[in-house]
Amino acid sequence: MSTERMKAEEFWNREHIVEKFWKGLADGVIYARKCKECGAIEFPPHIACNTCGYHETEWTTLSGKATLKSFVRTGILNARLELEDRGLKYVCGEVQFEEGPAINAVILGISKKKAKEVREKLPVAVRPVFFDMGRYTTLFFELDE
Amino acid sequence: MLTNVKLGKTLRSVSIVGIGATPFFNAQENETYHGLTNGELFGYAALDAMKDAGVEPRDVQFFFHGTANPGVLEKCITPNLQVADWFGMRGKGSLSHSEGCCTGYIALEEAMMAVASGMYDIVLTGACDMGTGMPDGNTPSFMRIPLSTEVLFPDLDSIFDRAYGRYLGGGPGMNHDDWINYYANENGLTEDQIDDVLCHQAYHFRRAGALCPRAIRRTPFEELAKEAGYDDVWEYMKSPYNPKVTQYLRTASDSCVADGAAACIVVPTEIAKQFNAKPIEVIGCGASVLDAIVPHLEKKATAEAARQVYEQTGLTPDDIDLLYVNDFIGSSAFLAAEEVGYLPKGEGWKYVLDGRIAFDGDKPMNTNGGRTSYGHAFGASGMADIFEAVTQMRGDAGERQVKKLPKHTFLRGFGGAQNVRAIILESNF
Repeated sequence: MSTERMKAEEFWNREHIVEKFWKGLADGVIYARKCKECGAIEFPPHIACNTCGYHETEWTTLSGKATLKSFVRTGILNARLELEDRGLKYVCGEVQFEEGPAINAVILGISKKKAKEVREKLPVAVRPVFFDMGRYTTLFFELDE
Repeated sequence: MLTNVKLGKTLRSVSIVGIGATPFFNAQENETYHGLTNGELFGYAALDAMKDAGVEPRDVQFFFHGTANPGVLEKCITPNLQVADWFGMRGKGSLSHSEGCCTGYIALEEAMMAVASGMYDIVLTGACDMGTGMPDGNTPSFMRIPLSTEVLFPDLDSIFDRAYGRYLGGGPGMNHDDWINYYANENGLTEDQIDDVLCHQAYHFRRAGALCPRAIRRTPFEELAKEAGYDDVWEYMKSPYNPKVTQYLRTASDSCVADGAAACIVVPTEIAKQFNAKPIEVIGCGASVLDAIVPHLEKKATAEAARQVYEQTGLTPDDIDLLYVNDFIGSSAFLAAEEVGYLPKGEGWKYVLDGRIAFDGDKPMNTNGGRTSYGHAFGASGMADIFEAVTQMRGDAGERQVKKLPKHTFLRGFGGAQNVRAIILESNF
């Protein structure tokens, strides 16, 4: 790491990473960061790299192509209230982007009956859904059938 | 995630010489306890621990106070200063900390570091949560009302990352069943088989809870089955009296929210026998933290914390005689037991079905009944596990005493979406 410290004016002109990410989703863009040393994709985007521990990353975008690797149905104890309130059918699962990173995600449009069918076919392709939550747009997925 | 942390040898060895705990109870429903406060509960547990160590409050130099959620449960920000006067430590140094349901384990880690560094010689550390209620507005602390789901459920989101995680897929949904689902797939087990395993595990933990006077749920499942009109306890365990609350978990595998406190006194090992003839040394503590957006986070963080503590202590899983796992998600118990090597990989579910994880089995764990029977006072539960571990290692557990007096006990802390600790205790007498 360079020993040159950040200048005050530089610090106060830093990028708003969280804000850019959420505004990107509203525009249908999935922002991520790429490690300047190891090249790993940091998603969701942060300042440093959590794959190799290097201090610097730069902006990139993800294609949205991803794979659903496993999922669970929810019950009364672990339901996502914001989705239940909207009457949505969903499951929660591990989704891996084609660029590498994997996250826990929400996959819409899967009923209990459909879940049984999908489980037999795992892993399956999913595509992004830019879902309007009212005050912000979030990233969910749906089966890419 | 990186796995390159190598723990060093501490400057001096640290031992537990005093333990104290209140029962776990429901202060909203039980008139005996209704009106008690966090300061009183923590105070009783603290003074109980001091008595066990043969010290007075004047002798203790510093204390740690842990609570999972002081904002909602106590309407306060710095509970350490609000409880200090209750056990004679006015004016001494102290620290509040809050790591969700891992708080009680981190309480021991904090005290260990404070004494191991040479900074203090006699430290009190404990945790208290009153999980069944909340302040009745801005009133004196004895005035509490039931914690409503309208308050609790939205607030639970507070433990998930607010920048991203809770609004993507890192909030509720995956955290209860992710690991058991992964395990079922990996080992070719059906949902029905997992159901059998979890019902057996809850059954055996209740057998221990029934023998533990501080546990909140002490009625054996056979008795509950008979009351409900079932001759076969296993039929009862899969009946509407024990409904599914997630894809895999029934209510018997869900924690029972409670009020309670526990504490211990920690000193340098070199002077430990001045305080107690049976000191318990804290020989290592591994740590890993992963946010809930990370797939299979509990499995990954448990493996990493265990790796660190085994490396630090030079022990292997074969050295472990007794195991405690924070099981507010019931399935965590045997899954973590496999992950830390206490049960063989892919075979843990068979150990559960055979009752080998019971207090009277050959691989005992959660001998106080775990969160599903002992109860779950959030931050205090980890310290209650330490209380039980020390009790067992001293050979003082009475009817639920494990068959072989433990030389080494492993504790896997978990909570706050999610902090993980892996602590190993060694009997030193």
